Amino acid sequence: MNMNHETTEFERRAAELLRASAAGLDGATRARLAHARTAALQPAARTPGWLEFRYLAPVGAVAAATLATVLLLSPGKPVAPVNDGTGSALYDMDLLSDAEAFDIAQEPDLGFIEWAAAQGEGTGG
Amino acid sequence: MSAPKDETRRELNRFLAEVEGKAFRIARIVLRHDEDALDAVQDAMLQLARRYAARPPQEWRPLFYRILENRIRDLQRRRMVRNRVMSLLPWRRDENEEAPDPVADAPDQAPGPADQVEGMGVLAALEGALARLPARQREAFLLRNMEGLDVMQTAAAMGCSDGSVKTHYFRAVQALKEQLGEFWT
Repeated sequence: MNMNHETTEFERRAAELLRASAAGLDGATRARLAHARTAALQPAARTPGWLEFRYLAPVGAVAAATLATVLLLSPGKPVAPVNDGTGSALYDMDLLSDAEAFDIAQEPDLGFIEWAAAQGEGTGG
Repeated sequence: MSAPKDETRRELNRFLAEVEGKAFRIARIVLRHDEDALDAVQDAMLQLARRYAARPPQEWRPLFYRILENRIRDLQRRRMVRNRVMSLLPWRRDENEEAPDPVADAPDQAPGPADQVEGMGVLAALEGALARLPARQREAFLLRNMEGLDVMQTAAAMGCSDGSVKTHYFRAVQALKEQLGEFWT
């Protein structure tokens, strides 16, 4: 394998073709490349010093710590009991185990039951 | 990262104006997409101006091409990931399964590179053959042959040894000759 060869006709021709293709780019592409070049050479918009990360990072850390402290130290609201349906289930079990209570629950005229109970309490019996 | 000073900016402008056409063609050969090629060149210009303008001007060329190659590789990688993700999407797969492309399924009757030399023009054939080369061989060939970098500059641009550059270049020439046919020489 001889890699120290002189430039061959093939290489010369390839180089000519490739360079000619680069030199003969259309106007639109040339214009866009020139625009990209100009943009690349413009001074970059500087970020104000106080907006740099090294200044903002400690501020952010303090804000996060303050928020965490407030959340931990603030008194919690009383939590409302959650009606998950177990109360009514216990009530149903109570009704089924007490035959008298079950009968009363089946009574269509609950107003009479309440009146009778009030009378009983009033007479002390 | 700071903007170059006026004198440096003028020199950098001359340098970039000199290489931008070739850089675009190199990116276009690899990426086969005008917009992507322009993006790659623009990013390379920007990085050179912002990061390396203070370096000696004789270092700019290999630096610029090294940045450009990295950018081209990034774009290729991104495109590959995007294609993989798209192929995993079930509705995309269904679409493909339901509607087979008769043109894509047809047997390939495209002319080989040697036929293209006569049929489509030598430049198109050369670019097609370059696009089929392994990346490092193509890189070595374009930097040496088109841009005219010497072995040392090419090695600096490619981030490898002089010996590797010689090997890649030699293999690229052999492969191109094989693809394009002996009558091209």
